[in-house]
Amino acid sequence: MNISAHKAAREAGAELHPRHRWNLTSRRARARVVNWLFKYYFLFSILALCLVLAMVIFFIGKTAMLTFQEVTPAEFFFSFDWTPEEDRFGAALFIVNTLSLTLLTLIIAVPLSLGMAILIAEIAPAWVKKFVSPLLDLLVGIPSIVYGYLGLTVLLPLLRELSGEGLGDGLLAAALVLTIMILPTISRISEDAISAVPRKYRDASYALGATRLQTTFRVVLPAAGRGIVAAIILGMTRAIGETMAVVMVIGNTPQLAKSLFAPTSVLTSNIVMQISNVDFDSTWNYSLHLMAFLLLLISFVLILIIRIIGRKGGA
Amino acid sequence: MKWLKKLSLAAIASAFLLSATLTGSAGAKDELKGKITVNGSTALLPLTLQAAKEFQKLHPKVKIAASGKGSVTGPQAVKKGIADIGACDWDASEDVPGFKKFEGQVANKVAVIPFATIVNKSVKVDSLTTEQLKGIYSGKITNWKDVGGDDKDIVVITRSFGSGTRVNYQAKALGGGDIVKKEKNYKEVGSSGDMKTAVATTPNSIGYIDLTYISGDDIKAVKHNGVEATVENVINGKYKIWSYGYYMTKGQPTGETKAFIEYVQSKKFQEGSLKKLKFIPISAMK
Repeated sequence: MNISAHKAAREAGAELHPRHRWNLTSRRARARVVNWLFKYYFLFSILALCLVLAMVIFFIGKTAMLTFQEVTPAEFFFSFDWTPEEDRFGAALFIVNTLSLTLLTLIIAVPLSLGMAILIAEIAPAWVKKFVSPLLDLLVGIPSIVYGYLGLTVLLPLLRELSGEGLGDGLLAAALVLTIMILPTISRISEDAISAVPRKYRDASYALGATRLQTTFRVVLPAAGRGIVAAIILGMTRAIGETMAVVMVIGNTPQLAKSLFAPTSVLTSNIVMQISNVDFDSTWNYSLHLMAFLLLLISFVLILIIRIIGRKGGA
Repeated sequence: MKWLKKLSLAAIASAFLLSATLTGSAGAKDELKGKITVNGSTALLPLTLQAAKEFQKLHPKVKIAASGKGSVTGPQAVKKGIADIGACDWDASEDVPGFKKFEGQVANKVAVIPFATIVNKSVKVDSLTTEQLKGIYSGKITNWKDVGGDDKDIVVITRSFGSGTRVNYQAKALGGGDIVKKEKNYKEVGSSGDMKTAVATTPNSIGYIDLTYISGDDIKAVKHNGVEATVENVINGKYKIWSYGYYMTKGQPTGETKAFIEYVQSKKFQEGSLKKLKFIPISAMK
C-alpha cells in the first residue's frame, strides 16, 4: 500500500511539479557532462603518453643523428672498436653484448619463473599462494641498486670461488643478478595468467584421462599463453634497460664478451659510465645518445619478436 | 578522520611558517646576496659543501647550490651558463690529454688533492716504482710475483676515461703511461666510492684513489718509488702524485662568486675545515 502511494505521488510529481522535472533533466545533463569530461580526460591521458614517447624519440633522436656527421653508419653499427678518445666509434660490441646478456638472462630466468608460477598456481596448497604472492610483490619493488650491491658483495666472491677467476665480473654475473631481479616479475604475472584459466578446462582435460602434467603443459599453459608472453616481455624490458645493477658486476670494459667471465660492457652500462665524462658538443656525446636511441629500438624489436612467437604458440 | 586531516594540515602550515620566519629573520646585517651554483668534480664536493655551509652562515642572503658529477661537467656547465663555478681536478683553461681547453675560463686554485695507489689487503707488496706501475697498467706485468708479491694474478681496477683522478694519476704516477684494457682481470668503475668498494672486495686487486677516501682495513696505500703517501710527503715535495683542485669561472669571478672563492682560499678555511677534510692548503705548496 505504501509503495503504491509512493509511486502515485512520484508520477504525479513528475507530471505536475516543474522543479522535480528540472531535477530530472539536470541529472541527465550532469551525466552527459561527466561522460563528456571523462571522454576527454581519457583522451588526454593517452595523448600525454604519446607526447612523452614522441618527445623521447624526437629529442634523443635529434641529438643521436648528429653522430653521423662524423661517423658513418657502417662504422657505428658494424665496427667492434669503441675507442672514442681516439675517434673510433664502433658500437657493434655493445649491441651484441646487450643481446647476449638479455638472451642469457631469459634462458636462465624464464624456465625458473614459469616453474615457480606453475607450482604456486597449480600444485601448491592455497596457503602457500597466500604467503608467496605478497612476497613476490615485495621482491618486484626492491630497487635495482640493492640487487647490484648483493651481486657485488655476495655473488662475485662466490663466482670467484667457483670459477677460479681473479675478478668474476662479466656476462654471467650480470645475467645472474638480472635473473634474480626479473624472476618475481615474470613468475608473479604468469601466475596470475595461469590462475585465470577457467577451471572447466582442467576438468575437461582430467575427464579425458590426462594426467596433471599433461593437463598443465598441454591445456593450462597454452591457454595462459598470452599472459605468460606479457610477463616475459615485462621481465625482458626490465632486464634490457637495467643499468645500476649491471654496472656493478659487469666490469665496464668496452670489449666484446668472448667468455662468460670477461669484463665487458652493454649499452646501458656504457652510457651511464661515460655520459658524465664527455663534452656536451662532441661526437662522443652524440654517439651515447644514439646508443640510448638504439636501446629503445632494440627493446621494441624484441617485444615484436616475442609477441609474434607468443601468437604462433597460442594458436 | 576529519580532525586528523585538519591536524596534519595545521602541522604542515605551521612548519612552513616556522621555516619561513627562521630563514627570514636570520640576520639582515650584510648586503651580499644572490645565488651561486657549483657543479663538477666529486672529489672536491665535500670541500665545496663544507665551505658553502660556513659561507651561508656568514652571508645568509646568499644561496649556494652544489652538486657533483664528473670533473669535465664543471667547466662545461660554466661554459653553458648553468653554473657559476665549475669544480675540476685539472686546470681546464689549458689542454690536458683527452680534453681541449675551455676558452675564456679562469682557473682558481682552491686545494691540493693527493692521490694514492691502493691494493686489496691480500696483497703483500707495499712499494711500487713508476716503471712497475706502468707495466701493471699497460698489461705487461700480470702477476704479483713479478713485482715481489705472491704468485697471484693482478686484478687491475681503473676509473673510466675522462675521470679527473685518472687524468692526474696517469700523468703523475704512470709518468704519462697508458692504461690498456685487458680480456680478463680488468675492471672500470665510475666514481671514487665505487673504486674503494671494488678494491676492498676483490682479492689481489690494485687501484688508485684520493687520499681522503683511504680508511678501513680492507685497502691499503702503496708507497710510490719508496715514498709513503702522506700529507707531509706531499708538502715537502717527496711524494709526486697530487694535483690542484680548481674552481673554474667564466672570466674573473665577480660579486658573490668572488666572495665565495675568496672565502674558500682564505687562511681561516684553508687551515681549518679544509685540513680537517684531509685536503692540503694551497699555501703549503711553495
